[in-house]
Amino acid sequence: MSGDITLKYWNEISEGDTVTTVTMDVPFERVILDAAATQDYFPGHHNPAYARHQGQKEIYLNTMAIEGFIDRVATDWAGPHTFIRKRKMQMRSSIYAGDTLRGEGTVEKCYEDDGRHLLDVKINISTDSGLCVPAELTLELPAAKSS
Amino acid sequence: MSETFNEPFPLAYGTYDDAVKLLNKPGEKVVAEFSVNWEMIKIYCSMVEDGNASYWEEGYANKQWGGIVAPSGLLLTWPMSLQWHPKKERKHYFIAMTIPLPGDTIINVATNTEFHRHLYLGDRVSVVDELTDVSEEKKTRLGIGHFLTTKAQFFNQRDQLIAVQTNSLFRYYVPEDES
Repeated sequence: MSGDITLKYWNEISEGDTVTTVTMDVPFERVILDAAATQDYFPGHHNPAYARHQGQKEIYLNTMAIEGFIDRVATDWAGPHTFIRKRKMQMRSSIYAGDTLRGEGTVEKCYEDDGRHLLDVKINISTDSGLCVPAELTLELPAAKSS
Repeated sequence: MSETFNEPFPLAYGTYDDAVKLLNKPGEKVVAEFSVNWEMIKIYCSMVEDGNASYWEEGYANKQWGGIVAPSGLLLTWPMSLQWHPKKERKHYFIAMTIPLPGDTIINVATNTEFHRHLYLGDRVSVVDELTDVSEEKKTRLGIGHFLTTKAQFFNQRDQLIAVQTNSLFRYYVPEDES
């Protein structure tokens, strides 16, 4: 894995740059793994009858799984030296077992604040049904590759 | 409801006025049952297929951060209650579950988090949660209910601030003629 690490530096990135798109299938197994991995046994995440009672069509991913996918989109692109300073996300519609996630992003702003080298990145998580979770992240990166 | 469900976190029931009385009253500080551990980090990362070396490779993580760090998305997991404990009642730390309102279910709406520092293996999280807003009754495509906004502050065992999270969820019921 070490040999494959890609690192972006703040001084190499420009506003308008595209974040590499990531896709991931969401079979039932992943939704159940989500509940177990996050210790979130709210029944909408593992009980189809309860999900339907809520007005949902199927069991769905929880917020923590979506956060993890959003963060992965950011750090797969920028590299593991990224510190996620802020994440804002809206759950406009649920992501169900059987969906395929697609995470796409764009760099909105590059700036310095209090000695930190920051990027504001917009990441949209969608499925075949359309946009599900728009998110805005602030990422901190090393300014430049050290010689 | 035509079926009964195993409710792991029974909701408190009451009126909007009951909920308003609980505004801006921080709950007790809850200390996590789990310490931050590599096994749970790996299970979470495998769930979202995140190969970030900060979570998987000691050599890289030691050099970059001073040790393996926890993914930010696992923040809420550390203070989760065990399914069963010989001496403790199962109790959700998340204050939104304890707010008395008419709705019999919830859905999360928005989450904003500011991260101040990493969590490392062996760290023990504590959290203080507070209800900061409750809306009057609203009707949405899912049902009828109230939007709750909460603010949670997460600390490590040295009382250093890890993150501040503002969360909005919808506590609602599906009207009989739509269920």
